[in-house]
Amino acid sequence: MQVDIQNLTKKFGNVVAVDSLNLDIKSGEFVAFLGPSGCGKTTTLLMVAGIYKPTDGIMRFGDVVVNQLQPRERNIGMVFQSYALYPHMTAYSNIAYPLKLKGISKNEQNIRVQRVADVMGIGHLLDRRPSQLSGGQQQRVALGRALVKEPDLLLFDEPLSNLDARLRLTMRGEIKHLQRDLGITSIYVTHDQIEALTMADRIAVMNQGKLEAFDTPEGLYERPKTLFIAGFVGNPPMNFVDVEVSQNGAGPVATNNDLKTHFTIDQVEKVLAHKGPVTMGIRPEDIVVDDGSDIRGEVYLVEPLGRDDLIDVRIGDTRMLALSDPKLKIQPGDTVGLRFNPERLQFYDPQTNQSLVW
Amino acid sequence: MTVTDPTMVAGPRKAPPLALGTALWRLLRDIVLLAVAMLGVSWVFREILANATSAVNVEESFTTVIADTMIFTLPFALVIVTALRSRSLLKNRRGLIIGITMLVALAVQTISVGQQALTQTGAYGTQTSVQFTTEQADEGVLVTAIEAGGAAEQAGILVGDVITAIRRDVVDKAALDTAILQSDDGAVLRFRLLRDGEEQQIPVTVTSISGVNTTSIYMGYVALFVTAILALAIPFGWIPYVLLISFLMPLFLGYAWLIIATFSQRTEGLLPVDTTGNFGGLTLDNWSFLSGQMGARNQLDIWGVTLNSAMIAVVMTVIVLLVASMAGYALSRMNFPGRRGFLSMTLILHSFPAVTLLIPIFIVLQNIGHIPLIGDLFGFNTIGGVALIMVAFELPLGIWLMKGFFDGISWDMERSAMIDGATRWRTFFEIILPQIRPGLLALGIFSFLGGWNTYLIPATFMVGTRTSNLPVLIRDLTGEMQPVNWNQVAAVGLYQLIPILLLFVFAQEYLLNIYAGGTKGSS
Ligand SMILES: Nc1ncnc2c1ncn2[C@@H]1O[C@H](COP(=O)(O)OP(=O)(O)OP(=O)(O)O)[C@@H](O)[C@H]1O
Ligand SMILES: [Mg+2]
Repeated sequence: MQVDIQNLTKKFGNVVAVDSLNLDIKSGEFVAFLGPSGCGKTTTLLMVAGIYKPTDGIMRFGDVVVNQLQPRERNIGMVFQSYALYPHMTAYSNIAYPLKLKGISKNEQNIRVQRVADVMGIGHLLDRRPSQLSGGQQQRVALGRALVKEPDLLLFDEPLSNLDARLRLTMRGEIKHLQRDLGITSIYVTHDQIEALTMADRIAVMNQGKLEAFDTPEGLYERPKTLFIAGFVGNPPMNFVDVEVSQNGAGPVATNNDLKTHFTIDQVEKVLAHKGPVTMGIRPEDIVVDDGSDIRGEVYLVEPLGRDDLIDVRIGDTRMLALSDPKLKIQPGDTVGLRFNPERLQFYDPQTNQSLVW
Repeated sequence: MTVTDPTMVAGPRKAPPLALGTALWRLLRDIVLLAVAMLGVSWVFREILANATSAVNVEESFTTVIADTMIFTLPFALVIVTALRSRSLLKNRRGLIIGITMLVALAVQTISVGQQALTQTGAYGTQTSVQFTTEQADEGVLVTAIEAGGAAEQAGILVGDVITAIRRDVVDKAALDTAILQSDDGAVLRFRLLRDGEEQQIPVTVTSISGVNTTSIYMGYVALFVTAILALAIPFGWIPYVLLISFLMPLFLGYAWLIIATFSQRTEGLLPVDTTGNFGGLTLDNWSFLSGQMGARNQLDIWGVTLNSAMIAVVMTVIVLLVASMAGYALSRMNFPGRRGFLSMTLILHSFPAVTLLIPIFIVLQNIGHIPLIGDLFGFNTIGGVALIMVAFELPLGIWLMKGFFDGISWDMERSAMIDGATRWRTFFEIILPQIRPGLLALGIFSFLGGWNTYLIPATFMVGTRTSNLPVLIRDLTGEMQPVNWNQVAAVGLYQLIPILLLFVFAQEYLLNIYAGGTKGSS
C-alpha cells in the first residue's frame, strides 16, 4: 500500500513539531525516519497511525484520504519502543487481541496466533505474562501482535533501542527479513543511523520538524545535499573546515590559514564559481595519515575503535577527526601529516547550508 | 586507568575490640538514657491516656495495664538496645550485661512504684466506693454487709435493704457497681430501695478510698525476672522482632481487652471479673443486641441499623469507583476547557472539613427533598441523602487518586490498543482499568470503610429516625441519660469491626501490593 503525505503539519500550542512534511512512500517500501531527538519523528508516526490529528495537510493510504479515520479503521500495526504489551494478558492474549477486536472466531485466532508465534520463534512462551519475558522476547511478542492482523502498513517507533547491542543486531536482521518477505509497507523511526542505513530502502532525515532529505542510504552518504545531512549521517561525523577556493597552476585548491589541499571532484566549476568563503567537508575515512603531506598537526586524542584508531588532530585552529591504522601506534602529542582524498571532498555554501556540488 | 589502587582492593577492616571499661561506660550511658526515656514515656502514657480516657469514663484499670506493660517491656528494650550497640560485648559477657540490665530495670520499677505511691496513681490509685457489699437477688440488689463508719453506714443503709434503682434507672448489680465506680469522689447517688417491703429513697455520698494494689506491684517485679531470663535466651536474629513486639504490645492489649470485655460482666485489667470483683463473670449478655434486645428495656432494630451502614458503604463504594475512575481518566488523558480549574477545585474541595459544610448541605438536602420522587430517596433524613453526601466528600480524593494511577500508565499502552482496533471505551475497560486494579481496590476499600464508619453525616442528617447506622448507634449507647454499659459498647464496636477485619484479611495481598508501591505485572 502506498502512503502519500502532503504538507503534513502538527502544532502543539506554539510548538511546531512537524512542519509541512511531504513524503511519498511506495508500496512495499521500507522507509526510515532519522533525526535527532525531538525533531518530530514520533509525532509524524502517530499522525500516520491516527492517534494525533494533523493540524494541516493530507495523508493518503492508496487512494483513500485517511485524515478523518480512527486508528482502528486504518489497518496498521505498530511496535513501540516500550513494547506496550498489556501486562495483565498472556503473550497469547496479547497477540490475539487485535483478532479478538476484529471479531474473528476463536479457532481462526488460534491458528493465526500460532503461525505468527512460530515465525517469531516464541511458540513456547505463549502462556507467559509480559513480566515473565525477557526484553527480546517481549519485543517479539510486540512484533507478533503488530503482524498478526496482516496490516497494510507497519509502524515502528525505535523498537530496538531498549535491547542490548548484540540482540539489536539480530532483531535488525529479522525485522528486515520479515518485512521483505511479507512485503508490508513500513515506516521505521530511529535515531540510530546505522539502523536506518542498513535496513531502509529510503531514509527521511528530519530536523526540527522539517524534512531535510528523502533519499536512499547510499545517496545520503555519498551525496549529502545539506550541511545538516553531511554532519548527521555517518559516524564518526564528517569534518568541516572554512576555506577559500581558487585555481592555481596545479589545479583547483582550497586554502585557509592552517591548510591547503587540492581537489579533483567532477563538479569543480560549480565550486569555483561560488564567490566568498565555502565550507569544505571531508569524512574521517577519506583522510590518510601520510608523513609526506604538508598538512601537519598535533595529535590531541586517540580513541581506539577496534579496527581503526580515531585520532583527533589539531592543525593550527582547525580540528580534524581521522582514522588511522592501529599498527602505526600513534600517541597523543605526536605530530602527523594528513592527506585528504581529493575526490571525496564536499563543498557547502555557509550562507544557505546547501551543497555547492549536488 | 589502573585497578591496582591498594585502597580499593583492601577489604573492610574489623573494628578493634573495645576495652572493657569503655564498653561498660557506653553501656551504662545507654541504659541510663534509655531508662530516663522509658520512664518518661510510661509516665506520659499513664497520665495523658488516663486523663483522656477518664473524660469518656473508660475503666482506669485498662490504662494502668497499658502503662504497666510499657514498664514491663523496658528490660527487653534495654537488653535489645545495648545489644544493638555493643554486640560483641553482649556475646562475650552476656551474664554480666543481663545482670546490669536487670538491676537497672529493678531500679526503674522501684522508682515507678514510688512515683505511683507519691501521686496516688496506678497501684496506689484510688477507687470510689460506698463501702458495702451486695449480691444480686430477685427483687434487686441485696445489701449483705456494711463497713463500719463507711459511706453507706453514714447514709443510713442497712443490711437487708434491696436496692432497685438509682434515681429512676432500674439497676442490677453490675449496673450499680459500675455507677458507683464511675462516680466522682463526693458525688451523691440517690438509691431507691426496698426496706421491709416499703420503697424508700436514700442519698449516698460516694467517697474515694485508697488501697494499695499489691498484686500489680508484685507482678511488675515478676515480669522483670521473667524478661531478664527471656533476654538471656534471645538469639540475635530475633532482636528486631522482640523490639517490634515490645512496642506493639499496647496495641495488642487494646484489642485483647476489647474482645475480652465483650464477653464479661466487668473487667479488671485484662481479667474478666463478675460483679463482686472475683475472676469469672463470663457472659453473652453484651451481645444480646444481636437479637434486638438492648439492655433490659430497649428494643432495637439491629439488622436495620446494620443494613443502613452497609447500604451507605456499598452505594458509596460503587458510585465513587465508577465516577472517580472515569473522571480520573478524563483528567489524566483528555484535554478540555477548564481542566486545570477542575483539578484545583477538587483539591480545594478535598481540604474542606465536613463540619464547615454541614449547614449548606442541610439546605441542599432540604431542597432535594422537595423534588418529587428523588426527594424521597435522596432528601433530608434518608439513607440515600447520607450516601449522596458521603460520595460527594469522597470523590475529590478518589478522583485525584485515580488520576495519579492513570498518569502512571504509559500512553503507548492505549495507543497500542487503539491501533489494535479497540474503541476508546473498550481500551478504557479492557486495557487501562485492569492495570489500575490495585488502585481501584484501594479506593474501593477506603470508600467502603469511610461509608461503613461514617458518623458525622448520618448523625446530622438522619435525625429523629430510630434506625441510623452503627456508629450513631454506639453514640446513642453512650448517651448521658443512663449509666453506660461499656462492655456492651465494646461488643457493638467489635460487631462493627467484623466486616473491616474480614476485608483486611481477604484484601491483604492487594493492600500490601499498593503499599509496596508496585503495580503488579508491569513490565
Ligand atoms: N503531546 C505533546 N505536547 C506538546 N509538545 C509535544 C507533544 N509531543 C511532542 N511534542 C514536542 O514536539 C516535538 C517533537 O516530538 P517527537 O516526540 O515527535 O520527537 P522525536 O523525534 O520522536 O524524538 P525522540 O527521538 O526523542 O523520540 C518535541 O519538541 C516535543 O517536545
Ligand atoms: Mg520519539
